[in-house]
Amino acid sequence: MKKHVLFIALVLIAALATPLFAQGGVEAKSAGFVPSKDIEWIVTSSPGGGSDIYTRIITDIMTRLNLVNGQTFLVTNKTDGGGEVGRLQVSRVTAGKIADHTLLTFNSGDHAPMVKNTANRIENFTPIAVMAVDKQLLYIGEYSKYKTFTEVIAAVKSGKNVVIAGSKGDDIATYEMLVKELGFTQNQIAFITNDATSAAITSILGGHVDLVMSKPAAADQYVAAGKLVPVLALANARFTGNLAAAPTLSEVGAYANVENPIWRGVVAPKSMSAEAAAFWSSAFEAVSKSEAWLNDYINKYKLVSEFKNSVQAKAYMEKFEADYLKSLGK
Amino acid sequence: MSTENPQVRKFGTKQFIIIALAVMSIAFIWLGFTKYGFWDEFKGPRPGFFPVIISIGMLVASVLALVFSFKESAPSWPKENWLVPLSVVAIMLATFIIGLLPSIAIYIVVWLRWLEKCTWKTTVVVFLIIMAIVVGAFVLWLGVPFPKGLIYNALFY
Amino acid sequence: MENFQMLMQGFEVLFTFQNIGATIFGAILGLIVGAMPGIGSLAGVALLLPLTFRFNPTTAIIMLGALYYANMYGGAFSSILLGIPGDGPAVMTLMDGYPMATKRNRPGQALLTSNISSFIGGTIGMLILTFMGPALAEIGLKFGPAEMTALLLVAMTSIGWLVGENPTKGLLLTMFGILLASMGMDTLSGSPRYDFGSIYLLGGIPFTPFVIGMVGFSQVIKLMGERHKENKVVVNKLTIKGSMITGHDFKRMLMPALRSGFLGTFVGVLPGAGATTAAFMGYAAQKSFKSEEPLGSGAIEGIAACEAANNGAAAGAFAPLLALGIPGSGTGAVLLGGLMMWGLNPGPLLFTNSPDFAWGLIASLFLANLITLMIAWGVIPFLIKILSVPTKLMIPIITVVCIVGSYSTSNSMYGVLIMFISGMLGYVLTKCEYQTAPALLAFVLAPLLESNMRKAFIISQGSLGIFFEKPISLVFMILLLSIMLFPIVRPVLVRLGLLKKKVK
Repeated sequence: MKKHVLFIALVLIAALATPLFAQGGVEAKSAGFVPSKDIEWIVTSSPGGGSDIYTRIITDIMTRLNLVNGQTFLVTNKTDGGGEVGRLQVSRVTAGKIADHTLLTFNSGDHAPMVKNTANRIENFTPIAVMAVDKQLLYIGEYSKYKTFTEVIAAVKSGKNVVIAGSKGDDIATYEMLVKELGFTQNQIAFITNDATSAAITSILGGHVDLVMSKPAAADQYVAAGKLVPVLALANARFTGNLAAAPTLSEVGAYANVENPIWRGVVAPKSMSAEAAAFWSSAFEAVSKSEAWLNDYINKYKLVSEFKNSVQAKAYMEKFEADYLKSLGK
Repeated sequence: MSTENPQVRKFGTKQFIIIALAVMSIAFIWLGFTKYGFWDEFKGPRPGFFPVIISIGMLVASVLALVFSFKESAPSWPKENWLVPLSVVAIMLATFIIGLLPSIAIYIVVWLRWLEKCTWKTTVVVFLIIMAIVVGAFVLWLGVPFPKGLIYNALFY
Repeated sequence: MENFQMLMQGFEVLFTFQNIGATIFGAILGLIVGAMPGIGSLAGVALLLPLTFRFNPTTAIIMLGALYYANMYGGAFSSILLGIPGDGPAVMTLMDGYPMATKRNRPGQALLTSNISSFIGGTIGMLILTFMGPALAEIGLKFGPAEMTALLLVAMTSIGWLVGENPTKGLLLTMFGILLASMGMDTLSGSPRYDFGSIYLLGGIPFTPFVIGMVGFSQVIKLMGERHKENKVVVNKLTIKGSMITGHDFKRMLMPALRSGFLGTFVGVLPGAGATTAAFMGYAAQKSFKSEEPLGSGAIEGIAACEAANNGAAAGAFAPLLALGIPGSGTGAVLLGGLMMWGLNPGPLLFTNSPDFAWGLIASLFLANLITLMIAWGVIPFLIKILSVPTKLMIPIITVVCIVGSYSTSNSMYGVLIMFISGMLGYVLTKCEYQTAPALLAFVLAPLLESNMRKAFIISQGSLGIFFEKPISLVFMILLLSIMLFPIVRPVLVRLGLLKKKVK
């Protein structure tokens, strides 16, 4: 009987110890900060989505450029509560080794709902970097009633109603800015929120809505195939390439341009040490300057590379939050 | 423990379920009207519209079901069945302290050896099979990060 | 026949050592991932995405396509053998698969039925994809919010066929399922609703843990009381021969599988509706046809109807994905993400710009279908051994699988908690003679219905007219009305001699 107990105990220990050894031992800390354990990187959207791809490309480049002292990234998708649970968890990590090895993918599309629906704020995080920005355009499809944005404005003024399809988060904010600038009500130009831009494009390809809002990357193929035509650049200057024909709002009439920059960034727990934050900020800067980043991400997904370090990112995100809160009337 | 008795017309689990559903529908109707909004003149249904309509239907159905329910026999609730959910509660609580994998490991051994009085051989075989699936497939291959618990985090960080 | 030639060229692309190896590898992984509860095709494809970077794009997507496709086969395994649905599409397979394996003592035949009807459904889907993929995708586009609303309303009436003997109870649980699904973020207004102040409920109730609990875990609680009974299932036929289906079985399976194959393919093409919806609709549709044994008691027709439908849908979903670059489901979106990472631009130009790739992928689906069938067939004798394990040992095993599976869906204990609560609920409800299937079906369909209905109303500015002005939607509305009025009109028709009296 005793032998059995001993055997069980051994098996148990073996089973329990496996994950421990996989984690690697504890290494001595050197001056400044270098990663000394696996880095846990939280992504608050599903595997395979835009944020997930962004994160995995960065981890891949960091590992290839050997920026993290040979440690591995453990990317975890925490999608509970629309991502709010993951964000809250990161904001609450207590100071120490774990805090210095925790990162969170954080985009304007995460920031806005967090501020709108929860009490969590950017002050609960340590901003690390902003890596890229993106802007939107309005497109018409082949069945659309209006061929230019001037026609759209004229139609609304004559009492017609126009429907724009778009995605969640950033698109809604941009739409609200646009309607306000045009001086129309949200009933005159209505917006249909879809779960993803691809669903919005589906509805305009079928001729069910008048306009679709999209970032350049998601609509690129359709523009190339002539299925979508850009009619308005939601930016301060025209886009280039096959999107150059779309005027900005100030070119269409006596309006100010509408631009709502969409950014992709990274934050860490508030409790991350200053040394660690500095280390990560420069690691992301190295990624941002790499050839691979430009080729595998920026050019492929048609974004604008715009690096902001820890300090700049903090100011940038704080301003974003303040502006957004103001627009919500909070 | 109640036994099967078709003649009993008293308040039991069946009625409790229906009342709970009715309460839920009332809560959904109230919140739907007051908090989420029902109908917008230009945009049609608002967030509360669909749930409110369904809740009203559910309220009606629950009243009907309550009337019928007194004609049905009451179910019996053997005590030992609740051991299963109880063990899951124990695993969930233990997970916070010692982590998910150790909790499961202990659970299997305790359950098989002391509750089901299996032989050590059976216990070990089943233990190894389950741990092989969980560790092999979920942890090593799919990389699911199971929680490691307070003790692990306290010891290593 | 041009498409046929292109397909043959696709096979030429496919038949390299590396590509066939990738197909086999993907198929095996897909079977395993599908059989594991909690890890659905979405997670499976996403988790293996990084693994495929070392291959060239064609090989990589062939592997992922095979994996996605084989998943639909694998999901049925745990449904039939353990009574735990591996993922959404397998829920309905369980309704007849589990009783057929345990009560009717025909586990091998149940698995084989599921595999063969998967094969039939998948083949139908792929043939349609090959010959009219782009055209089908265009038809799918015609289904805007108004058309989808009308179609879903018709589909919702099928819940009526699932409610069983007690319509009031069925209705009650259907509505309960709808209310549960309405909790969480409301996409159209971008604000939370019925979250009761909980940050977890902001994201709503996750489907997979809910299903694992409602169907799988509740089953374990019930088994606890029966564990000392003699094991009813005596598995003495552990050979491929012993699990063969008879000619009569095949005859019973064929018609439901053919019907569901077509239905499933069509559902797979529609925006937002996936394999789960297809399986539900296939099963519900079977209710209105003749089955030799009543559905839900282990009828071959039931297994065939949903398995053929979900595989048809899996194949059908490739039509909008390849022809238009529109993902029909989360898994489709991940595949799309993969395509983009490899520098291929999915969308209307894919067939013209990269025909090798597109047709190679379609060809690989055919191959994956065949390979998965053979592998699945081969492992059946080993798999059914699971049923000879005594119930008292199965209880802790299934419990652990339920916990680990529901944890893995969102990497959090919240999933486990949801599984636990819905398991208790499922047990209590079943004990009180409720059918849980309508609640699950409503949980899947209702959010689709609501969002499409509200989108339609935004387009029409609150006017009901939109549902009757558009031709497709009008047809479904007439269909809906006739389904609803039929019970009233029937006696009149019978009296007029236009309809035969219902033979029971």
